[in-house]
Amino acid sequence: MPDFLVISADLAWPLAVLLAWLAGEFIHRYTRLPRISVYGLVGFVCAQAFPDLFATEAGSPVAVMANVAFGLILFELGYRVNLNWLRVNPWVAVSGLAESFATFGIVYLIASLWGMDTMPSLLLASLAMSTSPAGVLRVINEQRSSGQATERLLHLVALNCVLAVLTFKVIVGFWVFNTSGSLTQAISLSAIELVSSALLGAVCGMLVPAVLRRLGNLAREGTLAFALVVVILVAITHAYDLSPVLATLAFGLTARHRRVAFTRTQRNFGAIGELLMILLFVFAVSTLDWNNVVNGGMLAFVLLIARFAVKTAGVAAFSQLSGIPWRKGVATGMALAPMSVFVVLLLEQTKNSGVVFIDELAAVAAMTVFMEVLGPIITQRSLIWARETTKEE
Amino acid sequence: MALEPFKESTPLTMGVELELQLVSFSDYDLTASSPDLLHLLAQKPFPGHVTPEITESMIEINSDVHTRHSELLAQLHEVRDTLVQAGEKLNIGICGGGTHPFQKWVDRRIFEKPRFKEVSSLYGYLAKQFTVFGQHVHIGTGNGDNALFLLHSLSRYLPHFIALSASSPFVQGGDTLFNSARLNSVFAFPMSGRAPFTLSWDEFANGYFAKMEHTGVIKSMKDFYWDLRPKPEYGTIELRVCDTPLTVERAAALASYLQALCAYLLDRKEEAPAEDDYLVYNYNRFQACRFGLDGTVVHPKTYESLSLREDILTTLRRMDPYAEKLGGSAALNHLMQVTHMGSDAQYLRDQFAASGSVEGIVDAAVQRFRGRR
Repeated sequence: MPDFLVISADLAWPLAVLLAWLAGEFIHRYTRLPRISVYGLVGFVCAQAFPDLFATEAGSPVAVMANVAFGLILFELGYRVNLNWLRVNPWVAVSGLAESFATFGIVYLIASLWGMDTMPSLLLASLAMSTSPAGVLRVINEQRSSGQATERLLHLVALNCVLAVLTFKVIVGFWVFNTSGSLTQAISLSAIELVSSALLGAVCGMLVPAVLRRLGNLAREGTLAFALVVVILVAITHAYDLSPVLATLAFGLTARHRRVAFTRTQRNFGAIGELLMILLFVFAVSTLDWNNVVNGGMLAFVLLIARFAVKTAGVAAFSQLSGIPWRKGVATGMALAPMSVFVVLLLEQTKNSGVVFIDELAAVAAMTVFMEVLGPIITQRSLIWARETTKEE
Repeated sequence: MALEPFKESTPLTMGVELELQLVSFSDYDLTASSPDLLHLLAQKPFPGHVTPEITESMIEINSDVHTRHSELLAQLHEVRDTLVQAGEKLNIGICGGGTHPFQKWVDRRIFEKPRFKEVSSLYGYLAKQFTVFGQHVHIGTGNGDNALFLLHSLSRYLPHFIALSASSPFVQGGDTLFNSARLNSVFAFPMSGRAPFTLSWDEFANGYFAKMEHTGVIKSMKDFYWDLRPKPEYGTIELRVCDTPLTVERAAALASYLQALCAYLLDRKEEAPAEDDYLVYNYNRFQACRFGLDGTVVHPKTYESLSLREDILTTLRRMDPYAEKLGGSAALNHLMQVTHMGSDAQYLRDQFAASGSVEGIVDAAVQRFRGRR
């Protein structure tokens, strides 16, 4: 007779994904809330109700699939970013730098005043700089949003991701140096990892469009080829402890700027991309511990409000200079709310390298849970307020 | 409300309207960015006029009234440079072309303006499918009778303008085999096609227009989507069959060609227009849309079959003295080149072959509008 528990464990993830999808469809139909908010909620409830069934080891198939899903999103983001724009209109980049570093400063300040140690405060501050491309891109695609707020949002998210990863890795490097005293280990965990990841992605970004060009029939092959290379990139970065975030983002960016031919990828990478995305959002919160959420809840609440205010003000401050009205600037800043999936995967990936922070950063767990549900809703409302979403005529 | 009186205007003055595409540099699809672009353009004086169009992925620019080709072209250059600069600041590509090669009409958003909302609620999806881009040319006619005379006399030359301006071979990602597929979208509207035959403004205003207004089907001249329509408030006739060309040089050349043709027709050297001229009208129009310069048209008076390219070349030569007098010789030379080198539709097909993708076509169109190719 088969062991009931073993079967349940095997079934747990597929059933959770199915449940999340169904709940997402129903709730979206009646409330118009973003589906991904619902996925996160279902994931959190499932993981708290059956902690043993949803426990995932680093490197488990579910974690790898979640990383692939995130890789696809980062590639899609990179593929839509026009670096030349940041040169022509530098105020867009300036607003991104300003809101990121102001967020770092304010979060570090609040965490220190709250009594947290320096290192965890710095790490928390670097994580708060980020904006999760998963939440933002999904909402943009779901709402079929277009206009200046949308366009700027995409570019700012990419900038935030890069800045957050760089800052986070540098701080992790210092942390390792402080605790182990080994400079080699510290550098290999930060500088070498960052440079190799970006290079790996950039090389793929040059090779793939060139190969596609030779193959011809680009419209059909593009999406599949890019998706396959994202899968391979995630596998390589996993095997060699590199950063999948930087590698896939660099892949997208280079592929866009090096493309010999102009092919689009299918939004969300089609149905398989959608499936992986549900898994990603369910997975992201399943890694969190309810005790941490409770312990860090109050601080998280304060930090989230501060982060939201600083990001909104940071983008809005440069809106007129960069050529858009205040209203759109404020909407763009507000839409930068999501951060969960990015943070979880960054921490998961760091855990692979043997550095575990999640317990020191109880507030991160709480921030992640709040933002997994609230972040996409705020982005959606901001884009509607900016009048950039498609309404029924 | 009766039709307003036909405004007196200086004959042979000209003005140009261009509907332009707003393209995202992220994926080369149309982007709903006209509110953003109009906001930015409103910060500084604009060398002409810029207005929203029915969907938020389009804008329309208008030139002032000109008498000479060089002045018109200079203003269009200024307008283009201002637009390109503003577009770059907002990461928006701006280009001509009668259709966007792969946009999906269902993704379009109607601009927040009562008239556009009305049109959208009346015509349903046709309004979004009307995301096509045309060039309109106004020519001053002096009075209403002249306007109707010119309007009907020009019907025989309409295929020239369709073929010379054709720049919409691709729709929804595929080659339509038409050179101007845009006009097929216009034909779906019930008030499209040709104006009723009358050469008297009184008869038109108090007869046809008054009756149509009485039926409740139309309220103003704006409700007619005719290929050529009188515009009493400006004292002009308006040619509406041209696709927006890929360059402002071609736009100016087409306007000057129409100006020279009107000068020639007002000399009354041709047999007067007649209702029977319209027997071959739709056929000739189709030939020009489908085959462009390679089409074959039927002469409405003699029923002789003519190569459209040859007919254009002959007419351009006949217009030479008129163009010279009006300062439009350079414009006719430009169009002469088009008959040899091929239209914008041909250029776009070449770009598709070279880049292997519809996105490549849009990129080429954006670069060409800037004058960089």
